[in-house]
Amino acid sequence: MAAKDKGAAPLNDRVSVLVCQGTGCSSSKSERIRLALEEEVKKSHLDNVSVELAGCHGFCQEGPTVIINPEGVFYTHVKPEDATEIVQSHLVQGKPVDRLLYRDPVTKEARATLDKIDFFRKQTRLVLHNCGYINPEKIEDYIAAGGYEALRKALRDMTPEQVIEEVKRSGLRGRGGGGFSAGQKWEVCRRSPGNEKYVICNDRNILEGDPHTLIEGIIIAAYAVGAAEGFISFRTKSPLGFKRMAAAIEQAKEHNFLGKNILGTGFSFELQLRQGMEDFVAGEETALIASIEGERGMPRPKPPYPAQSGLWGKPTIVHNVKTFATVPIIIRNGAKWFAGFGTEKSKGTAIFALTGKVANNGLVEVPLNMTLRELVFGIGGGIPGGKRLKAVHTGGPSGGFLPPSLLDSPVDFDTLETAGSIMGSGAVVVLDEDSCIVDTTKFFLSSTQLDSCGKCVQCRLGLKQMVDIMEDITHGRGQLSDIDLLVELGEAIKAGSLCGLGKTAPNPILTSIKYFREEYIEHIKKAHCSAAVCKGLVKAPCSHTCPAGVDVPRYLRLIAQKRYDDAVAVIRERIPFPSVCGYICIHVCETKCRRRQLDEPIAIRALKRFAADHARKDALPKGKIAPASGKKVAVVGAGPAGLTAAYYLAKLGGHAVTVFEALPEAGGMMLVGIPRYRLPKEILDSEIEEIKKVGVEIKTNTRVDSIDALRAQGFDAVFLGVGAHAGSKMRVTGEESQGVMDCVTFLRDVSLGKEVKIGNRVAVIGGGNAAIDCSRTSLRLGAKDVDIIYRRTRDEMPAAEEEIEEALKEGVKIEYLMAPNKISRQNGHLDLECIRMQLGAEDASGRKRPEPVKGSEFSREYDTVIAAIGQRSDIPNSFGLALNKDGTIRVDPDTLATSRPDTFSGGDVVSGPASVIEAIAAGRQAAVSIDKYLGGKGLLEEKLLPPEEINAQPESDDEPKSEGRPKNPELPLSKRLNSFELVELGLPRAKAIKEAERCLKCDLEKEEE
Amino acid sequence: MKAECACAATREPPKEMDSRLAGILSLYRGRPDEVIPILQQIQREFGYLPEQAMSQVARFTGVDESKVFGVATFYAQFKLVPTGRNVIKVCRGNACRVRGGARVLKTVEKQLGIKHGESTSDLEYALETVACLGACAVAPAVVVNDETHGNTTPDKIPELIQP
Repeated sequence: MAAKDKGAAPLNDRVSVLVCQGTGCSSSKSERIRLALEEEVKKSHLDNVSVELAGCHGFCQEGPTVIINPEGVFYTHVKPEDATEIVQSHLVQGKPVDRLLYRDPVTKEARATLDKIDFFRKQTRLVLHNCGYINPEKIEDYIAAGGYEALRKALRDMTPEQVIEEVKRSGLRGRGGGGFSAGQKWEVCRRSPGNEKYVICNDRNILEGDPHTLIEGIIIAAYAVGAAEGFISFRTKSPLGFKRMAAAIEQAKEHNFLGKNILGTGFSFELQLRQGMEDFVAGEETALIASIEGERGMPRPKPPYPAQSGLWGKPTIVHNVKTFATVPIIIRNGAKWFAGFGTEKSKGTAIFALTGKVANNGLVEVPLNMTLRELVFGIGGGIPGGKRLKAVHTGGPSGGFLPPSLLDSPVDFDTLETAGSIMGSGAVVVLDEDSCIVDTTKFFLSSTQLDSCGKCVQCRLGLKQMVDIMEDITHGRGQLSDIDLLVELGEAIKAGSLCGLGKTAPNPILTSIKYFREEYIEHIKKAHCSAAVCKGLVKAPCSHTCPAGVDVPRYLRLIAQKRYDDAVAVIRERIPFPSVCGYICIHVCETKCRRRQLDEPIAIRALKRFAADHARKDALPKGKIAPASGKKVAVVGAGPAGLTAAYYLAKLGGHAVTVFEALPEAGGMMLVGIPRYRLPKEILDSEIEEIKKVGVEIKTNTRVDSIDALRAQGFDAVFLGVGAHAGSKMRVTGEESQGVMDCVTFLRDVSLGKEVKIGNRVAVIGGGNAAIDCSRTSLRLGAKDVDIIYRRTRDEMPAAEEEIEEALKEGVKIEYLMAPNKISRQNGHLDLECIRMQLGAEDASGRKRPEPVKGSEFSREYDTVIAAIGQRSDIPNSFGLALNKDGTIRVDPDTLATSRPDTFSGGDVVSGPASVIEAIAAGRQAAVSIDKYLGGKGLLEEKLLPPEEINAQPESDDEPKSEGRPKNPELPLSKRLNSFELVELGLPRAKAIKEAERCLKCDLEKEEE
Repeated sequence: MKAECACAATREPPKEMDSRLAGILSLYRGRPDEVIPILQQIQREFGYLPEQAMSQVARFTGVDESKVFGVATFYAQFKLVPTGRNVIKVCRGNACRVRGGARVLKTVEKQLGIKHGESTSDLEYALETVACLGACAVAPAVVVNDETHGNTTPDKIPELIQP
């Protein structure tokens, strides 16, 4: 970038400094920027530089923006104070100001000029070609850019019928939602009897940067149909846009483009600007006509169509602003040219408002054969924050959700309609995993329901019923039968409504149920909103998202009150491993913490650890052990799932539980998968002691091969929590060579104190937490060079961000876009042949698939290669259980029962490799089922504290600025590499309490709506 | 149970309503299709549509008074009760919503002590939500009187509302 831009245009050429003063940038005081630049240019006597007011180019989120032409340098987030630097550094010295340049959302590289910025580069700006580059307040700019040439051509060289023919041949379809052929409408209007005809424009301020394009289009249309009077109904609350349109109309009048005898051709046309009514329904063409007549904005039956009988009963064409604005380029460049863009039935380009969870938000124009994928990932720059795409919603409240599987559909009229959505007025909202489909649907429905004019029974009553049902679903009152009822209602409303509002209002419901039925089922059956959005179900997003439902806000309040014992008791109500989780939990709670919308999420895990570290064990409320039930339960596997199931079955169910563990010690992955520098043994052991204290017997060094044998020993039920302790194969030649090992065996041997020789050079293949654990462990065993080799990029590494950071700090080298090809043993070391990868096409979730680069193989020498690419379970056939295709145990999702009614299972052996907290949650869920199976009520709940007296209020948003999330103090690097000493040292008391106070107490918020 | 009458007829008309209204009507010709522009101007002048003015508009344009009321009650922008002088509109469109608009609204409501659709008791501020300002790329958006403000966050609200 630097090299190209150092060669800035020599200063004796004309330079234009375009300062965007569209509504978006003006909202950030861009006028002050223009004035500051003007002054600075004057002070520096730069006579060849002109500072201009420009309209909106559509990339509002980067505003306020300044474009320097002819280079096309694009400055973003400009402040008035930057004016001096822009003038001095760029215009005088020829050095563009790097810090103001646009940054690529993925690579973070600076992209200095418009032709390098995907947002602009990938658009096809035909209708919008002037927007951002001319001054919308000067008609001269428009004329200099070729404006009103089309009008001249139409009035002087073409008959009205020829104009209509040209528009018909272009294939232009209405851009307001209906998508009807514009040319056909005009023809009907022209042919309708009578001399009094009208044109009406439904303006939503899209052409604020170039109002004359709209005006020219309207005049041409009026000429074609024979209208002498026209109206622009300005239906947006943009005072600036209204002002500019009014001024443009005046200027057009002054230049004889409007009024009597236009351009001396005898054609006369008056155009009136009206502040229109913004109610949604008033955009329907007959309702719009009604509002101009001074009536209530309620739609009228069609036929007769407005082209036959419209305003005051006269033939009228009503078009969206974008439709009229497309006319001048069609007349100027010809129908054939326009029809060269787009698809067979959807010609040309269309303007979309690309918004939501996408890196580049803005107003864009693309040919109608562009796919959703290119729109969202190419122009939009993909989903920020490493989140997954969930759906793309088009058409606003009248449109529908499109799942990722439809990403390769073109954005044209018919494809969208077939999918159940519509193009509508061009709104495109991108939704990610943090968006709730059910909640978004409810939002759209309540919008349309509010705006229903009330005329048609189905729309008026049906939409209200649907909204009520959605309220039930989002508040835990839904029933499964509601889903089909919604579909039935939706179809009835579509069939029985007079106008477009009613006919399309059910689209969000119908598409969301069609493509996302599972989300509805989850809300209804499990009272769970996976995006943690629905306030009626989610008390606090942290505890809602926690697989074990730990009451996070409550224990944070207790920490703030220095009641650490009680805080731990609250945690113990849900999980038997408060300490372990405090040290190593994957803290999904933090990903949904609402505090992140203000500054940073609360350090929930670190606070959990703080409470566990500072609680006095003897002061913890213990709770009661249930009376003996007389039943015996066998648990196979002393990992988090098994030990959790054992704990609750023994303590709250009163059952006699024996845990069988094949390894010499209990703990499962907590012991043999997680290295000691993350989780000290004393911590794990003390929590296992608590489990034994409630009567659980743990038999180590005992492998179980048969469930029948357990039954024969007198056990009434069995829980299998055997985990996934076999490392997956890389499927690479030479994998069996000496020196190649799998991550599970490696970490387990180290944990159990075996001597593991790895030499000096170690390669770890993989990108998850296991790979990081292996790499940091290798360093501690004395390896000097440790490389992690991962086939994708850093952004896609599944390992936790903080773990990656620590590994890099400790000296691990991470190589991206590399994969192993072949291994061979040579001269006492391993020869690892690798191949470079590149990111190819996106898969269904939007992630780019890595593909090998042919011919890029190269070799490296290592002493040890550790495969950390995955884990599998090793389930004896003798268990006789039904398995899934991937080798996991098949269970009923609600009861966790296997194909044997007496045997239940959970944890990694069911889900595949997951986390400790998920295993704990599964263990508890299974304990409830087992208790029921054994004749109990399955009410394995305990309250270790009396109910909370809530004096606290939910936090306001205007609290004093906090210091932000504290950093965890860590063991200095010098101390780390010779030992497995604990790295994370725990928050100091004062910081922890302050952090706990930063919680917004979302659970205390009363729901308003 | 005693019902309290809250209809507009009990309200006092604004000061010098007749002369101010006459000034507005003098700009029009007295045609039925002028009802909406006239009502818009009356609302700009008085902050709401006084009931006493409506009957004059009906006579002036030749439209039945019931129809004038029908129009006034149909469109969301017309207010039949006095509203705050400074109008704050928080966008409730989907793009604004997805980018944290709900939190912005709550902050404004808290700051002013009213809910959307209401005005402060001193009639200084009125708070509404609007369906879409068309400023989606700078979501969440808020309009204070005639100025649009983009990228609003809760911490920017105090300054925005009482500069």
